[in-house]
Amino acid sequence: MKKKLALVIAPILALSMLVGCGSKETTSSTSTEAVEKTESGEEVADTLVFAQGAEPRGLDPAYVDDGESSKVIVNVYEGLLAYAKDSTELEPCLAESWEISEDGLNYTFKLRQGVKFHDGTDFNAEAVKINIDRQLPPQRTEDMPYASFVYADVKDVEVVDDYTVKINLTKKNTAFLANLAMSLAAPIVSPAALEANNGNVNQSPVGTGPYKFVAWSPSEDIVIERNEDYWGEKAKTKNIVFKFIPDNSARIVALKSGEVDMIDGIDSTGVDQIKADGNEVYNLSGMNINYLAYNTTRAPFDDVKVRTALSKAVNVPELVTALYGEYAETATTILPTFMPGYSKDVKQVEYNPEAAKAELESAGFTGPVKMIVYNNPRPYNARNKALAESIQAYWSKIGVEATIEDYDWTTYKDKVVAGDYDVCFYGWVGDNGDPDNFLNLLCDQNVSMNVSRLNDAAYNEIIAEGTSTEKGPERDAVYAKAEQYIADLAVWLPISHANNLSAYSPAVQNYSYHPTGNIFFKDMYKAK
Amino acid sequence: MAATQIETTIQDVKREKPESNFRRMWDTLTQNKAAVVGMIVILFLIFIALFGKWIMPYDPNLGDMAVNKQPPSMEHWFGTDEQGRDIFSRIIDGTSVSLSVGLKAVSFALVIGTVLGAIAGYKGGIIDTIIMRVMDMMMSIPDILLAITLMAALGRGIDKAIIAIGLVTIPEYARIVRGSIMSIKDSEYVQAAKVIGNNDFVIIFKHILPNVLSPIIVRATLGISTAILNVAALGFLGLGVQPPYAEWGDMLGRARSFIFESPYMLIFPGLAITITVLAFNLLGDGLRDAFDPKAHH
Repeated sequence: MKKKLALVIAPILALSMLVGCGSKETTSSTSTEAVEKTESGEEVADTLVFAQGAEPRGLDPAYVDDGESSKVIVNVYEGLLAYAKDSTELEPCLAESWEISEDGLNYTFKLRQGVKFHDGTDFNAEAVKINIDRQLPPQRTEDMPYASFVYADVKDVEVVDDYTVKINLTKKNTAFLANLAMSLAAPIVSPAALEANNGNVNQSPVGTGPYKFVAWSPSEDIVIERNEDYWGEKAKTKNIVFKFIPDNSARIVALKSGEVDMIDGIDSTGVDQIKADGNEVYNLSGMNINYLAYNTTRAPFDDVKVRTALSKAVNVPELVTALYGEYAETATTILPTFMPGYSKDVKQVEYNPEAAKAELESAGFTGPVKMIVYNNPRPYNARNKALAESIQAYWSKIGVEATIEDYDWTTYKDKVVAGDYDVCFYGWVGDNGDPDNFLNLLCDQNVSMNVSRLNDAAYNEIIAEGTSTEKGPERDAVYAKAEQYIADLAVWLPISHANNLSAYSPAVQNYSYHPTGNIFFKDMYKAK
Repeated sequence: MAATQIETTIQDVKREKPESNFRRMWDTLTQNKAAVVGMIVILFLIFIALFGKWIMPYDPNLGDMAVNKQPPSMEHWFGTDEQGRDIFSRIIDGTSVSLSVGLKAVSFALVIGTVLGAIAGYKGGIIDTIIMRVMDMMMSIPDILLAITLMAALGRGIDKAIIAIGLVTIPEYARIVRGSIMSIKDSEYVQAAKVIGNNDFVIIFKHILPNVLSPIIVRATLGISTAILNVAALGFLGLGVQPPYAEWGDMLGRARSFIFESPYMLIFPGLAITITVLAFNLLGDGLRDAFDPKAHH
């Protein structure tokens, strides 16, 4: 009898343990027992391990557009400018100072001298020119998702002398300086490394940052180590390991067991557990938007009436509370409430299932709606499959059938580019604190950015007006107008602004998580 | 003249044998308490699967977001899930999925496995070698791993899960049938059937197979429990039924995010799987004892 019971129980246990397996012990680099000390004489552990929900797509800032890559990139590379520790205020970085011409078309940067790339080559004006030139036409390629955004209005780059570089714009762009501090497209890559790798350093990043790249074990981890020749204050911890643990609960368990020191991509369901385990939760209003997008190039979703009716059927506040609890805010606009350009007067489509049903009947639409969803946690949405299922249920209540196909993040991005969907889910983490960074998405030519595939001349004009207007109330009003215009077109259904939730062991000192969804390890350490 | 006599004898034996056999097996089976419990549970599950639609208090696929993640209460006996759906109704709805998937996957494997095993065992030689080496290759890969690989090729969906799980268990049936056939293909009554001019098809399916049924039935009963568990495993990994439909493994899989917060979401589908698998295993064990001539006193 015992044997029979065991026969049944064993497979069930095995089934429930599928969650926990799949990762081997921490990499060998952690076993080196070097003793490090801080100024106060405290002994510092030589490795910090950070676990994230997905693997980076690549480590060349010109070729990637995802936050998972960005978190590694910001520790290996630097841009001309940088953001302050916990805001998007601009600070000098590889450029020590800059001047802007009266007409706002010429930017002259004085570069920091004596900075070396990790491969030992010099950082200078020529390096800046090579980095920007490769992302400008004619060298710019289709797979540089951020190039057209960050260097939108750049005409050319002039090398004035070894440490002075002048960037000329075709038209005024208020967000240009903020763009140069971004973690994608803007970081400066070693020209020597670019040459050695056919212009793409996705697998072998070389920058000037406080850490240098050591190794990448696919599906396992990325290891970076302290740059001993860093121009500024050197990093406190010798090695940083980025581990990839896709499952949310598994990541929390890894933090609990001490296998990792820090995790992100958690959601409200894990918070109580993390606190009960004696770990700290870092809760920060997120500079992000989590949204549903209709494919405006596919009938009948090219019809604003159909889109509006479908959006009307979804009770957004109810589902945000149900799915994300107190760790996300219902989105009434695309812009988070604390950003310039946010307006509380923007009216989204209002929840009204009866009207939705009637309108869809008169439009003669009963579905099916083909939804594609990503199933990895994203910083703006840790529970996308659940979100899609809620929306499927809301639509089912008004008689519209929807199918859900879910993919891992990397595959998902390819599916989005391929375009075979009626509805997809996406999100955006602000890169530079400028409203243009969010609202520009809907006029981007790149379909991996503009997932609604909207091409609306009137909207593009409003956005162009925004980029050429000086910061202030007048510019904010332009973005409020843009928001209302998009809300009326119902191309997106804004869902929520997620709080940036990350967690760390109390042993980790100086922990912080940047509003741009990045994490800078330079000052972090833990006592041995 | 002689042939007719033999045939008459065979028919006499056949007419008599199944009944006495069945009687004996039924008695042995009903004396085994565990097997009886398994049988009762299975009958109960079949009842739920057939009449569940009228028993379930809520629509299993449509929830109310306003009452999501409720612990068990009078309104929702097993609580509600993340989408505000009634877990009790979903467990009931999932019963027919699990049972029918188990049956379909096993029938699929049984039919193909039996045909292949019978041909291999009866023909022997090069045909036997080819069929059985392919079966060996399939058996060398763990079931669930092979099923996941097949799912990756076939795509998602419960129908594909049935095919995948059916395919991976074909070798088990093929082996059992082949072995049984080889052990009796040289026996006298088979020789006799050959002598009176029956073709191979008739010999295999009419004369040999009925006599090797018992190991196949035992294997199939136990196979159902394995199939249910495997489908649950695929569902757990998100490869089974597509949303919003309910399947126990899938429910378990999505509940694992709430293992700390709302463990009840995990407990009920887990229990449902355990009880069902246990019931089929108990019945299968009972059948094996009943069919085993050595266990019979």
